[in-house]
Amino acid sequence: MTADGRSSSRDGLATGSHLLVQAGEYVCALPLVSVRRVLRTLTVHPLPGSAPELEGLAEFGGEPLAVLNLARMVNAAPGANPANPVTIVVVAGPPEARELMGLAADAALEVADISPESVILGDGGFLLGEAPVGGKVVRVLNLEALGR
Amino acid sequence: MVEPDVTVRTVDPGGLQDWGQDRAGGRSDALMGWLVAVGLTVVGFLLLVAAGGPLWPRFAFLVLGGAGVAAYGLWVYPILRSLERKLPENLDRWNKLESKLIAAFEQLGSGDLVRSAEQTAKLPTRLARISAAAADALSSLAQQIQDSSIEVASAADAVNQVASDLASGSSEQAASVVEITAAMEQLARTASQIAESATRQADLASRAESSGESGSGAVHEAVTGVEEVQKRISAIANRADTLGTRSKEIYRVLELINEIAQETHILSLNAAIEAVAAGAEGRRFSVVAEEVRHLAQRSQESVESVRNLLDEFSGSIRATIVATEEGSKEAARVLERSRAAASAIGELRQASGDTSRVARQISMATQQQNAASDEVVMTLREVSLVVQRMTGGLKNLSGTADRLNSLGLTIQLLAQSFHLDSPRSLKHMVEAWAKELEKASSATELEEALDRLVQAAPFIELGYFVDTTGYTVALSYNRALVSGRQLLSAVGAREIDMTIRPWYRAVSREKRASLTPPYESLQSSGQVFTVAAPVFGRDRTFKGVLGVDINVTGWTRI
Repeated sequence: MTADGRSSSRDGLATGSHLLVQAGEYVCALPLVSVRRVLRTLTVHPLPGSAPELEGLAEFGGEPLAVLNLARMVNAAPGANPANPVTIVVVAGPPEARELMGLAADAALEVADISPESVILGDGGFLLGEAPVGGKVVRVLNLEALGR
Repeated sequence: MVEPDVTVRTVDPGGLQDWGQDRAGGRSDALMGWLVAVGLTVVGFLLLVAAGGPLWPRFAFLVLGGAGVAAYGLWVYPILRSLERKLPENLDRWNKLESKLIAAFEQLGSGDLVRSAEQTAKLPTRLARISAAAADALSSLAQQIQDSSIEVASAADAVNQVASDLASGSSEQAASVVEITAAMEQLARTASQIAESATRQADLASRAESSGESGSGAVHEAVTGVEEVQKRISAIANRADTLGTRSKEIYRVLELINEIAQETHILSLNAAIEAVAAGAEGRRFSVVAEEVRHLAQRSQESVESVRNLLDEFSGSIRATIVATEEGSKEAARVLERSRAAASAIGELRQASGDTSRVARQISMATQQQNAASDEVVMTLREVSLVVQRMTGGLKNLSGTADRLNSLGLTIQLLAQSFHLDSPRSLKHMVEAWAKELEKASSATELEEALDRLVQAAPFIELGYFVDTTGYTVALSYNRALVSGRQLLSAVGAREIDMTIRPWYRAVSREKRASLTPPYESLQSSGQVFTVAAPVFGRDRTFKGVLGVDINVTGWTRI
């Protein structure tokens, strides 16, 4: 991790602190530098004809915010009924077109440090790879891959 | 067979004959009477002279005596002489008349009213008419005696039958009375047992009534206790309900704490995000955020622990509420059952009291019944004695009827000893048959005629013709009274010499019908009597005797 908290990346791999969230049966790690706020789940207005991953639009800071279903995005099994659902406001997209987006997750767990060496890289897309954290395997996500 | 009861009763003619012979002495009787009168007159005069006194009575006596003697000589003596001259003629007439009378009375004495009538017809008209009237009266009397004796025998037979039936019925009645007496005694014993049982039942019912009163009190106490328990259970249920309500409030508080902890958790995460965004300056803040997150997590864990405890507590409260509800329901059921038991015990007590009273009444009634049964038994014993006496009396009556029947038969046979000109007279009937047999010219015709006569009279067992040698020439038996087996003994009768039989000897001697007393038949073992009559040839020679064995029972029924 660098002094500003940003980690050097290898094709979008962020190192340093990550926010661990529950998405279905998976625990996903979001780079903390891309996370702007953790909110109790926002009221979402569905958009007819939109992609299944897009739950709809919510209102955040007086602006519309697109909210994505994180569980669907990581191919988790549907049907979960979370006790403390949250909406995580992140900055996603390639560096030249970053924008705020909401990710609907089942719960926000904790902040954890993940070393880049511990990440086992995947296909290099949104699901960057997997890394062991506290005896569990978490899925490390690449938020820069959203919107490409 | 015995000698027939034929007693010849003759008139004693000795006095008349002596008197007639005296009259044959001659004329001296009238003369002797006149001399006696003169002698008596002289003796009387001499006695008056010897007595002394005045003379005129002596002369008067002498005159009157002389007049009497003269009158006797003039008027009485001629008449007496005339009578004495007619006496031999009258004596001859008298002797003839006497002979006819003797013959008639001999027939009458032998009971043969038919021949007696024939004899009396020869008497002078007036005497014949008087004799015929007497014979008719005697015949009518004999006929009436026959009829009456038959009726007496029949009535005696009927009485005997009725007495036998009554005796049989009374015997059965006596047996029934004995059975009824035994049954009544058994009933009396049973009544005694019932009375004892009823008494015991009354005692038991009294005890049950007392126990019912105690039980009723106990059940009422139990009902009161159960009602108190129900109240306590209701109070516990209310308290548990209150606890449940309070636990829900605790749940809401825990939810609030959990939400606060969640908000704190989210807040700590946002603080950590902001600390990262703050760079190096936010590093210490991120440590604080991490501590806050830990506190929030511990708060959530504590809330979870409290929630778990509260869940257990709530579960206990719910179980308590359920238990109290079930207890309340059970108490209500127990209370209901206790009240029902109290009601049942009350009814049972009432029923026990009623049972006790009824049992006492039954006991009294059965005791009365027992006494009545004893009286009935005593009465039945008296009835039994009466019935036994009645049975004995009926048996005596039956014996008396037997004797009366026998007496009737005896009278009938005595009446039958008269030979009447009546179809009911057996002698007359058998003599008529004998005349029928006289027409037969051969033994075969004789037997046919005899068989025809026997078969026409259902009361005759056997008819036979015995010649003068005592041999049974013809014999016929009544097939309705004598069976084939019995015929053998009847046929064997041909081998018997009948001349020794009293009835044969009487008939052959008297030449008139005779009748024997009853005797046991050789054929049917029943009582029979024999009526025999002489059979004459066309020249009035004695050819033999027709004998007829008459069955007493059949004849009586006829």
